[in-house]
Formats: sequence, structure tokens, C-alpha cells
Amino acid sequence: MSVPPWLSDLFWTYQNVVVSLGVNGLLALSMYVVLAAGQLSLGQAAFMGLGAYASALLTLRLHAPFWAVLPAAMLVPVAFALLVGGPTLRLAGVYLAIATIGLGEVLRAVYLNVDALGGALGLSGIPEAAPLWLIYALLAAALLVFWRIGRSRVGRAMEAMRSDETAALAMGVNVRRYRLATLVASAALAGLAGALSAHSTDFIGPNDYGFEPAVSILSFALLGGIGSPIAPVVGAVVLTLLPELMRGFAELRLILNGVVIVLAVLFLPRGLVAWRMRRRAA
Amino acid sequence: MTLLALRGLSRRYAGLTAVDRVDLDVPAQGVHAVIGPNGAGKTTLFNLISGLVAPSAGTIALDGRDVTRLAADARARLGLARTFQAVRLFADMTVLENALTGLHPRLRSSLAAIVLRTRGFRREERNAVARARDALAMVGLERRGGERAAALSYGEARRLEIARAMAGAPRLLLLDEPAAGLNPAETVTLGTLVRSIVDAGTTVLLVEHDMKFVMGLSDSVTVLNFGRRIFHGTPAEARADPAVIEAYLGAKVAARLQGSAHA
Ligand SMILES: Nc1ncnc2c1ncn2[C@@H]1O[C@H](COP(=O)(O)OP(=O)(O)OP(=O)(O)O)[C@@H](O)[C@H]1O
Ligand SMILES: [Mg+2]
Repeated sequence: MSVPPWLSDLFWTYQNVVVSLGVNGLLALSMYVVLAAGQLSLGQAAFMGLGAYASALLTLRLHAPFWAVLPAAMLVPVAFALLVGGPTLRLAGVYLAIATIGLGEVLRAVYLNVDALGGALGLSGIPEAAPLWLIYALLAAALLVFWRIGRSRVGRAMEAMRSDETAALAMGVNVRRYRLATLVASAALAGLAGALSAHSTDFIGPNDYGFEPAVSILSFALLGGIGSPIAPVVGAVVLTLLPELMRGFAELRLILNGVVIVLAVLFLPRGLVAWRMRRRAA
Repeated sequence: MTLLALRGLSRRYAGLTAVDRVDLDVPAQGVHAVIGPNGAGKTTLFNLISGLVAPSAGTIALDGRDVTRLAADARARLGLARTFQAVRLFADMTVLENALTGLHPRLRSSLAAIVLRTRGFRREERNAVARARDALAMVGLERRGGERAAALSYGEARRLEIARAMAGAPRLLLLDEPAAGLNPAETVTLGTLVRSIVDAGTTVLLVEHDMKFVMGLSDSVTVLNFGRRIFHGTPAEARADPAVIEAYLGAKVAARLQGSAHA
């Protein structure tokens, strides 16, 4: 019995989109957690790439089991987040954005030029070990965790420092600690998404985690909003499905992202899901 | 007992000394006013005390503990609260959530307890909401808890700022021109509010231009001029002090007043 090619085509297309939806949902949450604390990171793709490369190398070179690969895929970007975040978080606002863009570009050059990391050819033959259910279970867990944290003193402190950092300090919010903690959480989540996507696609390359995906991830949250953790995930769903609906215009993806960012900033300052969650649990 | 002790506290900006070797002892009760003409350094003094601005020289002790090197948030956790000359609320958050942020240092539930919504965490949140509502009731905003802070009128916003600062029951509350922009009736209500804050055991350090308000409320008055402390004493003494009159009215008017008094 053989499957007709069109059916198999459909299945693989569908499969890719379903994986992308879950992975992009996780990436959107990794963006959300930094934005929610009033910071701008453009390093989400870099953190994702670190997770992807770390996990792929562990799998390919050391034949590590998948369950052991995932924590490593979170720890490696966390180490880089501490490295970049530690010094820049003392400084205000835009320095983190600049430093994280820099991180992405430096890492791309490293992947490209170090043969042990696959060089320009990237890494191929990665087993498709990430089960679909796991991707969605992790997305649901991340949503739940952020939802609950949002409705506590931590969520209030984050919104307070985003709204007025000086007033938040005067209320006793340890702004620097919150900045670092949210960046670390964000890096861990992006690294996890990177490992899951690398283990769903069989191939990763140095150009998969550059500036363009960084902007895409930012646009998930800009389009969806950050009034609740659901909002950026909605943004990711829309921006993942939109290009699929406009197949044949794949080259327009970057333009589409740019247009979405501009329109969202101009006309939807609170995003598609403008609703703001309540910040208390009682 | 001295709650706040400033020694030789100074803050220099390029070409100007905003606060100049100020010594001050604030006892652990009552209302203590800091007055002075525009630009005298009152807000800078508050920023130094609360840790938002670093001193160029001098020390700050809170409750006998040197806090000069402590960050603003750490000082807040020691029971130091403040309001701002230009109101700084968390605009998108609700009135109740604003008051709840004032309790931030008092809430101890771990991240794990929050994520698992343990019984202890829920109890702590319930207590926090009750205390935040009490703080709102104290300033007459108990019915507005669910509204966005940005929806409040100017006078209400000023009162919410006080409620937010008071929610955590601080030891010392710094009020930077709380009566500015209030109508006479609101100013009277504010006076009653400050009294009740003091009665509840919080010491108040007050910067204010409304002299009637200051004189009627304060146990002591400190006068700054060009960053320097030129007077410290009771309100009655302040009113009679030539240096204070001069700082407020200018040398010429002061001389004339004294001249006419002698004539
Ligand atoms: N960040 C700063 N940089 C430079 N100069 C400053 C700064 N902050 C305050 N100053 C100056 O320090 C002096 C004291 O300012 P401050 O705001 O403390 O006065 P104030 O007594 O609160 O006045 P007001 O009654 O008008 O509120 C002013 O001359 C002001 O211009
Ligand atoms: Mg001032």
C-alpha cells in the first residue's frame, strides 16, 4: 500500500506548520517575559540558536538521550544571558537591545567559521526526536506558569517597573534582579524552543538564527500584545499562519513582518489582544 | 529616638550644589517639614534620602543603620516610603493594584508557591488585598479599586500615591508637596489624612509650599536655601526668624519689614 504523493505532501506541510505553531508560541512567550518587565531584547533568535546548536551537538556527537539534551539546551543560552545581561542591565534600556543584536551576529560568525560546529553547511542528520505532544505540553505549561506569575506580586512588580521604573524602585522592587531573572527565563525558553525545533527538522544552519528571525519573534509580541501571556501567542499564531495562507509569496515574509510591526505600533499599541489580565490572585 | 539622621549630606551638579552639607535629625514620631524657596534643594534632599540620587558627600542613617550605600529599593524594604512632586502612578494598573505594589516588600511567597497556588500564597494574597483596600479606604478611594489609575482625577491620583506608599505601613513617609494643586477643601482633608498617618505610627517628612498647611501640621520645621540648612526649630520660631523671612521674601523686603517693626 502506498501513500499518494499529494497526500504525503499535505501531511508534511501540515506537520511543519503544527510544529512551527508550537515552537513560535514558546518563542513568543520568551519575548513576552522580557517585554513585560519593560526591556527590549533582540537576542531571542540568538538564544534559540544556542539551544538548537547545543542540543544538536549533544545528540549528534555525544548521542545524548533527548531528555538530557533539553536541560542543556536551556542552560547554554542562560549562561550567555548572564554574560550579556550582567553588565548591560546596569545600564538603561537600549543597551540590552544593542548587546543582544551583537550577540546574535557574533554567534552567527562563530557557527559559520568553526568547523566543529558544522561551518557554513550547518548540522544535518538531527533525529526528529521531539514529539509533537511535548512541544504543546511545554507551551501549555509555560502559558500556565506565566499566567499564574502574572497574577502575583511578581507580575505586579514587572508591570510596575515597565510603567515607571523609578516609582517601582521606591516601592521596593529590586529592579535589577527582576531584569536579570526575566532575561534568564527568556533565554531558557528560547533555548528550549530551539532544541525542539532542531529536533523536528533534521537540519540547522548558521543563518537560521540571525537578525531576521529575531525581528519575527519581536513581531509576535508586538502584534499580539503583552497584556496577558495569551496575547503574544495569538500574535505568533497569526504570523505563522499568514505566510502559509499566502504560499508562493514566501519571499515577502520579511516585508510582511515589517509591515505588521509598523501597523501594530501605529494602530494597535496594545496589540490584537488588548485585554489586560488582572494582577492579583485573590 | 532618631529615625533618620543626615550628616554633611551634599549633592553637587555641574556648577551648582543642590544640597550643601545638610545635617538633620528626624525623631521617630510626628510631622517634620522641610521648606524653602523654589530650587532650594528640597526634592534633591528627598531623592538623596530615598536613594534615587547618590550623595556627593555625607551620610544617611535610618534607624541607626548607615544606608548611604544602599539602593533605593533596599531602603524601601527597610520601611522608607515616598510620594513624588509630580505624581508617578502605574497608569495602566488598577487603583487596587497600585496600592498592592506598596505591599511588595511585605509579600514573601516563593515563585514555586505562586505557580502552585499554594494555600499559603492564596492566604497571603487575600491579606494583601485586604490591607491594600484599607489603605484605599484611608484616602477615600475604597470604591474606585477596579478602575485604571489613569482614570483618576488629579486630587484622587495624589491620594492614591499616598495610599500606595502607606499600604506597606512604612516607618518613614516622605511627602513631596502633597498639597500642590489641591483646592482648599482638599487641602483640609489632606491635613486630616497626614494626622491619621502619624497617629498610625508613621513618621512624616513633608516638603510643602503652603505655609498655613505646614505651620498647622508640623512639629518641627527645617528651612533650606540654596541647598543649605538655614534654620531648624518649631513653626513658631520659623515665622519669627529673620533669616527665614529673608530667604522667602528677599533681603529688601525683609529689611523693610524689620525697619517698619522698629519704627
Ligand atoms: N538632575 C539634575 N541636574 C542638574 N541640576 C539639578 C538636577 N536636579 C536638580 N537640580 C538643580 O538643583 C537645584 C535644587 O532642585 P530641587 O528640585 O531639589 O529644588 P526644590 O527645592 O525641590 O524646588 P521646588 O520647590 O521648585 O520643587 C535646582 O537649582 C535644580 O535646577
Ligand atoms: Mg521640589
